Amino acid sequence: MSTPDTVRAELLARIQSSDQPHEVLRAPELRALADEIKTLPPEQRANAGRALNELKQALAVAIDERQAVLDDAALAPIDVTAPWDANSKRPDLLPTEYGSRHPISVELEHIIDIFTRMGFDAHESRQLDDDWNMFGALNFPEGHPARDGYDTFRTEEGFIPPAHTSTMQNRVLKDGKAKLEAGGQIASISYGRVFRNEDVDATHEHTFYQQEGVFVSKDATLGQMLGTLRAFFEEYYGQKLAIKTQPGYFPFVEPGLEFLIEKPASIGGKPGDWLEMLGCGMIHPNVLSAAGIDPTKYRGFAWGGGVERMIMLKYGIEDLRHFESGKLAFLRKFA
Amino acid sequence: MIISVNWLKKYTDIDLSIDELTTLIGSRLVEIEQVIDLGKKYEGVVIAKVVECKPLEGSDHLNITKIDDGGVVETIERDENGHVQVVCGAPNVREGLTVAWLPPGSTVPETYGKDPFVLSAKPLRGVVSNGMLASAKELDLWDDHTGIIVLEDSRKAGESFAKAYELDDYLLDIENKSLTHRPDTFGIVGFAREVAGIQGKPFKTPERLTLGGVKWLEKTGDLPTPKVTIDNPELSSRYQAVVLTNVDCKIALSPIETQTYLARVGVRPHSAVVDVTNYMMMITGQPLHAFDYDKLKAVNNGEIDIHVRGGHEGEKLVLLDGREIELSENDIVIANGETVVALAGAMGGRDTEIDETTTSVLLESASFNLYNLRNTQFRHGIFSEAITRFTKGQPAELTAPVLAGAVDLMHLAAGAEVASDVADTYPVKQEQPKVYAMAEHMNAALGTEFATADIVRTLTNVEFDVSVNDEGLITAVAPYWRADIHISEDLDEEVGRLNGFDTITPTLPARDFTPVSPDSFDQFRALVRQVLARAGANEVLTYSFVHGDLFKKAEQNVENAYRIVNSISPDLQYYRLSLTPNLLSLVHPNRKNGFNDFALFELNKTHNKVVGMDDSVPKEIDLLALVVTGTFEGAVYYQAKRLLDYLGTSLQLTFDYRPIGEDPGYDESAPFDYRRSAMVYAGETYIGIIGEYKAAVRKAFKLDGTVAGFELDPRALHAASLQAASSYTPLSRYPSTERDICFQVGAQTKYVELEKTVKEGIDTTSLAAEISALDIYQPESGDTKNITFRIKLTPYDKTLTGDEVTAVMNVLIDYVSSKLGATVV
Repeated sequence: MSTPDTVRAELLARIQSSDQPHEVLRAPELRALADEIKTLPPEQRANAGRALNELKQALAVAIDERQAVLDDAALAPIDVTAPWDANSKRPDLLPTEYGSRHPISVELEHIIDIFTRMGFDAHESRQLDDDWNMFGALNFPEGHPARDGYDTFRTEEGFIPPAHTSTMQNRVLKDGKAKLEAGGQIASISYGRVFRNEDVDATHEHTFYQQEGVFVSKDATLGQMLGTLRAFFEEYYGQKLAIKTQPGYFPFVEPGLEFLIEKPASIGGKPGDWLEMLGCGMIHPNVLSAAGIDPTKYRGFAWGGGVERMIMLKYGIEDLRHFESGKLAFLRKFA
Repeated sequence: MIISVNWLKKYTDIDLSIDELTTLIGSRLVEIEQVIDLGKKYEGVVIAKVVECKPLEGSDHLNITKIDDGGVVETIERDENGHVQVVCGAPNVREGLTVAWLPPGSTVPETYGKDPFVLSAKPLRGVVSNGMLASAKELDLWDDHTGIIVLEDSRKAGESFAKAYELDDYLLDIENKSLTHRPDTFGIVGFAREVAGIQGKPFKTPERLTLGGVKWLEKTGDLPTPKVTIDNPELSSRYQAVVLTNVDCKIALSPIETQTYLARVGVRPHSAVVDVTNYMMMITGQPLHAFDYDKLKAVNNGEIDIHVRGGHEGEKLVLLDGREIELSENDIVIANGETVVALAGAMGGRDTEIDETTTSVLLESASFNLYNLRNTQFRHGIFSEAITRFTKGQPAELTAPVLAGAVDLMHLAAGAEVASDVADTYPVKQEQPKVYAMAEHMNAALGTEFATADIVRTLTNVEFDVSVNDEGLITAVAPYWRADIHISEDLDEEVGRLNGFDTITPTLPARDFTPVSPDSFDQFRALVRQVLARAGANEVLTYSFVHGDLFKKAEQNVENAYRIVNSISPDLQYYRLSLTPNLLSLVHPNRKNGFNDFALFELNKTHNKVVGMDDSVPKEIDLLALVVTGTFEGAVYYQAKRLLDYLGTSLQLTFDYRPIGEDPGYDESAPFDYRRSAMVYAGETYIGIIGEYKAAVRKAFKLDGTVAGFELDPRALHAASLQAASSYTPLSRYPSTERDICFQVGAQTKYVELEKTVKEGIDTTSLAAEISALDIYQPESGDTKNITFRIKLTPYDKTLTGDEVTAVMNVLIDYVSSKLGATVV
């Protein structure tokens, strides 16, 4: 009488030499073993059944391994220098109407273009940074309650996936210091991906994009900040806009404000509908000092806000999760 | 936080409509999330007297009452005395009570705004009940449904319930976040001060809450002053305590109006003692805590020896809510002797809780380190009204006026007598800094035109102590309840905000005509996106963080990835090492959704520990990856190559595809099968890898063999493109001639080798030529292949004759034959 042990070696060997290893699971030996179990006294059946299952599992592992070897071997080397495969023809590109740029990329290009025309240079924000740039240089002392609002991730090493593009502010200010002291101005925007450790739903994402800017000069004013932001949004929406502010609290500015625009008619706005677009304020003297800029000689303003919201309003996109979903059904709407 | 407008009005005049008020608060103080019209909820509720109360026959609990509503409710059935019949099931209903009546047509306030229940005149057991008499729960005041609410006898029949208890109110739901730095506004008095300020009105803090106005109720007992030690002054800047005796802990706070004020801002009334602590907290922002004095003594052999200190490892405390927590050294605790009795600022302990039998109370008023409390808040999950206020940093000076005020109220409401002197441990007295301002500087920063007098008035309205010297230098000292005024910019904020930032005229900074250079790499990326989209590919953006399993699937080394340690989602464990695995993850789901031929690409940053640091932070690696799939003729590798060549052409680059001898072993190259992949070069600059994926990788991503792609270094590509010369050649005035020629070479001969040799052959003739492949044929068996080229010869000096062309072709054939042993077919 055969047992799982007696057929094991034979079946494993058959797998190793087979081009279709999964066929081995249909081997007559296995069927015979199964039939034998039915003839056993009831008290022995459970053990015999278990032994047969163990054998089948072992065979399945061996089959997977063999199949992987076969799959791998099936791939003959090709002439990677040729323009197309032998006996075939020149590949076509995909139809142009399939193609699309991501709406966030398109919008960022648009935002950067407007600010560039207004006199701002642009930098992409880092995606992994340290506590100093994320908080320390921005007047958030260790343990400050305002840090709570940012729900930051941390890496093993204590690096921080930035929760705002302001993580670039200290670098931008330091880089611009020489220009400032030579009689110029610092006018710069930072844009890019930021991260918050929160649950995802239609209006919350752990990954999203921000744009932000700083302007520093000898005579910057809060009035200039309001004018600059209004000019940007008027250019962005292509129409005159009413603006207003709300007091806001961000440790890196003093005073701090939320900036609102009256919802433009082009995106379905009616008079009296207001949109909170970003946070802004006069750069806190501690932030200037942290970058080596003398706050008694220079003043500046800064702002920062989300990008997705602008896009969602523009196209009527209903769910924030679409942006990073990689769904062609979504992406090709922007073809 | 909920702010009651009527409560504000007790401290400051408001002569604006609710819309004007909320707009002004929104623009000059804080964002309001919602305005609730409380008056609507209580519309129709009438105060009535029960003039008759008889059991309803056949019911064990219902009573038939006759109520007097002063005749105010119209169109209702009345008896000969003008009274209205209402059936009531409450056990406490009886003749002579003053009650809240919900007449027919009114809505039960508890159901207002939800699933409204509108009352009617309907029979109950055959007897008509005109509406109902309401409990506190039905009135949506607090959770008491044991009987109807009993109002003060002094209330008149027919009075509007809302008017009588000032419930014709608006509640403002405030967005707390932007007041993180303003502990003062977490009390009604502080909020009212701001509301006065933004209306341009002077505010006056009630005398008793000013530092000079603290008056202690006279001591009548002779218990010892509680002994208080702050073991670590960093944890608590001040701790005051007093013992009260003869306290009635059963009695409710009166008047009911005060209870309704607590209720409308979300605090459930308990006993007078607890209510007083809550009331004082609500108006000032300073929380208090009442211990049962006798229970407190009992834990330390009858002695009071209070210590404010950090928790010890292993120490435990059972809180008021019955939870046992383990303390850490970051928690601030109140101990009597060695025994911990309260988690300071957060919650009292169960063992010293006051209850109905309590007669003596030790009342605590203290300030604690907000950073420790923040820690405690999150560690133990305590988000009470008290800790919310403490974590904003209540000032030490506030403890005295609030404690004195609470003692007074407890005396009035619960008969409390002061039995000890007030213990006051206050190691370092809090001083407010002098802050300076000049109108000229302030106007320069804000873009305003304030006169010195405007600034002085604005600050004085909110009780700054302000003086001006002859040079116009303004010296301002913030009132003691403000902890946020340190530098002159803080005064800019104060004056700008209180007068309205929206009154500032927007202007633009002056700039010269120097053009701004757009970032070259940005522009390059924009071009790449356009080119690939034109080639039919779709740009995606995928997450920077991935699950650890992705590395296994893509055969990448997890050790090289930066690990996230605090993610709330298991999908976000590591920074990705390259873009290809994310793109591969998207192929199967898109196919399942009916897309067959597509290409996905991403331009983004990745991080890898192997590449080291950029100053003190990890270097960031820009990558460009593309994955293409579909039903194509021949190996899909060539589809990816076609796309990449197209990109190259658009960048004026011709790529060199070099075969790979063995698996390169980089994280970027890990998913690729080296035998069907190539290294891509632009000249001698390495650009990246292109190819098909390993069988195991494809299997892991549920993909078949119809997937290929590339992963490139876009910075290298950018650099190469900047150096690329234009490929333009002038047009010739003479016609071109085309000839097709087919070479047979060994099957192992690389296409590029033959192509290069053909070019060299043409070059020997000094004619310009364009060479393009027409056909590649390789028989199933045999060791040769045939490659056909179309050669377009262009002369620049004359028209070529047929003989001349033939001569050129012969030179070419000889050259290729001798170099590669090729034959012409």
